[in-house]
Amino acid sequence: MGAADLASQKTRKLKTPWVFIAICMSPWVFGFLFFTAYPMGASLYQSFTKFNLIETPKWVGTENYVRMFTDDPDFWKALKNTVWISAVSIPLRIAFALFTAWILTKPKRGSNIYRTIFFLPAMVPTVAATMSFTYIFNPAIGPINKFLEFFGIKNPPMWFIDPHWSKWALILLGLWGIGDTMIIYLAGLLDVPRSLYEAAAIEGASGWQQFRYVTIPMMTPVIFFSTVTGIIGSFQYFTQAYVAAGQVNDYSHSMYFYATHIYHEAFRAYEMGYASALAWVLLIFTLICTLIMLQTQKRWVHYPNGSLFK
Amino acid sequence: MTKKRLFAAVTAVAMVAGTFVGASSAHAADRTVTVWSPYKGGNLDLWNASLKRIEKANPGLTIKSVGSVDMAKSLAAINAGNGPDISVANGAGNLGWFCGTGAWQKLNTLVAGSNGINMKSTFAPAAVDYTISANNRCGLPAVGSETFGFYYNKDLLKAAGYSAAPKTTKELLDMSIKLTKFNSDGSIKVAGFVPWAGYYGFEMDAMWLGLMFGAKWYGGAGEPAFASDAKWAKAFNWQKDFIAKVYGGGDFKTGSTKLTKFVAARGDEWGAGHDFVSGRVAMKLDADWMAPMFCDPDGWALNPCTKPAVNFGTAPFPVDASIAATNYGSGLVGGQVMGISKGSKNVKDAWIVLKGLATDTQLAIDYANDNGSVPVLNAALKSGKITYPAIYQTFYNIAANPKSGYHTLKNTGEHLEDAEIYNFMSAWQAGSVSDLKSGLKDVALKVSSIITRNN
Repeated sequence: MGAADLASQKTRKLKTPWVFIAICMSPWVFGFLFFTAYPMGASLYQSFTKFNLIETPKWVGTENYVRMFTDDPDFWKALKNTVWISAVSIPLRIAFALFTAWILTKPKRGSNIYRTIFFLPAMVPTVAATMSFTYIFNPAIGPINKFLEFFGIKNPPMWFIDPHWSKWALILLGLWGIGDTMIIYLAGLLDVPRSLYEAAAIEGASGWQQFRYVTIPMMTPVIFFSTVTGIIGSFQYFTQAYVAAGQVNDYSHSMYFYATHIYHEAFRAYEMGYASALAWVLLIFTLICTLIMLQTQKRWVHYPNGSLFK
Repeated sequence: MTKKRLFAAVTAVAMVAGTFVGASSAHAADRTVTVWSPYKGGNLDLWNASLKRIEKANPGLTIKSVGSVDMAKSLAAINAGNGPDISVANGAGNLGWFCGTGAWQKLNTLVAGSNGINMKSTFAPAAVDYTISANNRCGLPAVGSETFGFYYNKDLLKAAGYSAAPKTTKELLDMSIKLTKFNSDGSIKVAGFVPWAGYYGFEMDAMWLGLMFGAKWYGGAGEPAFASDAKWAKAFNWQKDFIAKVYGGGDFKTGSTKLTKFVAARGDEWGAGHDFVSGRVAMKLDADWMAPMFCDPDGWALNPCTKPAVNFGTAPFPVDASIAATNYGSGLVGGQVMGISKGSKNVKDAWIVLKGLATDTQLAIDYANDNGSVPVLNAALKSGKITYPAIYQTFYNIAANPKSGYHTLKNTGEHLEDAEIYNFMSAWQAGSVSDLKSGLKDVALKVSSIITRNN
């Protein structure tokens, strides 16, 4: 076998792995193309059309985007509600998850049982949980108000029925189901090196100082992760609000969020083009917020082994 | 003849014969009509029996029926290009959208054609109205309909000294004051009547409130009339006055708060827990198909209604005194509608099936006897074969009243005009609207905007 033959064999051997790689990747590639790229592309196109699901989409240029900012009061209402729920629920969820996770690090016996109990609410289907909460918080027959009246609160809130309290009722529902976030915080807390606490104790740090100067900085990667996912999740907040609003008469649209508005425009007003435009604006807005978070993390997120983001 | 010529001749004959066979096969295959409906159980059996009768009357026609399909699924299929030939919607609210977008094909020519239908002599007046939008008839009445009337608890009324239902809104208010009872803590124990959006009725509530005062949904030029027709303001002011006087001791805010809690504690809509069955409310507006439940909360049997769960009577809606002479006796009448889907490849046969279903007297009689709903097919109404208890006569009278009907149907998406006026009514009754006139104007502008965008 001559040198040319050997070179040819080597070239064939080098080519073969790429084919193999392509074959292995093909399920994901096809899945991405058919279930992500194509729908996104179709949605982007439809956002520049007037499309009612029945007639052929009609190109209208930027009309949908202009209408959103100039001729749709429900857009601003939905946006305001969404920003509110994000601004209030994210810090509360972080604090509550950290607090419950910290409590769960304390028991020396039965910790698995306690962790399971705290995690269980997160496993309840969202629709069922929401419907249960609307019953529990029913102002006339719900146990919460009966409990409050028993302790002397004469006119307890009407919760989901009252526009001033409905979003707080949703916040409470979210905090009840904190298990999924809590488990991540628990893992983070258990990962904090004990040597740091010992060193702090030797230096005379109190419990609060240890929490402030050891726990929090070591937990910043987890806090950062839950903040980013919290922003993304809260901007798409839908199921709980839609189910709760359907159980009560949400005439004031106090539980009308951005995703609800997309749903309404797509499947009640049959304006799929406009709904697509709303979805793309949501994507861009979420992307901007996420990029801001990624930029600011350099200032406050401490990675013990150094950050990938220089 | 040479072998070659013989072969060519045989081949030619075979090809010509094959064309005829193929053509007749194709023709036979084209005579299949698919029908999707929301019916299930016994109602689907009745529906399919009707389809069998149509098949028998039209040899060569094959009908494929699929039940338990709601209109949302039908629309998704129509949009994808593989929808049924005929689809059925559970209510008339979306008809404007079906007609305006072409989801259902225009039937005007077919209705007026040689194999058409005389709509006015065939169907009740309300059914003629709720199957047309902006002169575009894209639907025919399907077998199910709903007629709204007034239910009253005879025992509670008798205890308060009344023997008959109120006829006017003033009588309704006065009777409600006497019928309403309070608990020791001031909460409502028994409500006389509940004029409240969200008390079992949801988006229908603003419809009946407007109907009680003769308020129009659209003006002469087709513009929303919520602000221009003073009867809407009259209706809402009456509602506010009612809440204040009956439940608030003269104070609207007190009455509104009490009613909010009362409605929040309402019993289950389906079954013995319903407030009208349990005696928690003395008078109520509701559909004819609720009578079987009031007769028999578990089995929904209308016939016989000799031992009803609640001793109830039926009557037409009370109306404002100014329109009592002309409008008392009428009511809200709606129903299921059906049409030929966009993209149907066999419109001629689909029309045969559609017309057959709409005019099948046997189907209308059987459905009415089974479900306790009033048929909209005149032949069924005159047949004398529908059995119902005497208390049900009210609904037959309401359905036949020429003033009965649904509001004008426009292309407003999923009947968004109903949602707008319902939301307004909800905000109004909660005390969140300080300026009624301005609020109604806002509703009119919103509905107008919806119509403009959809047309």
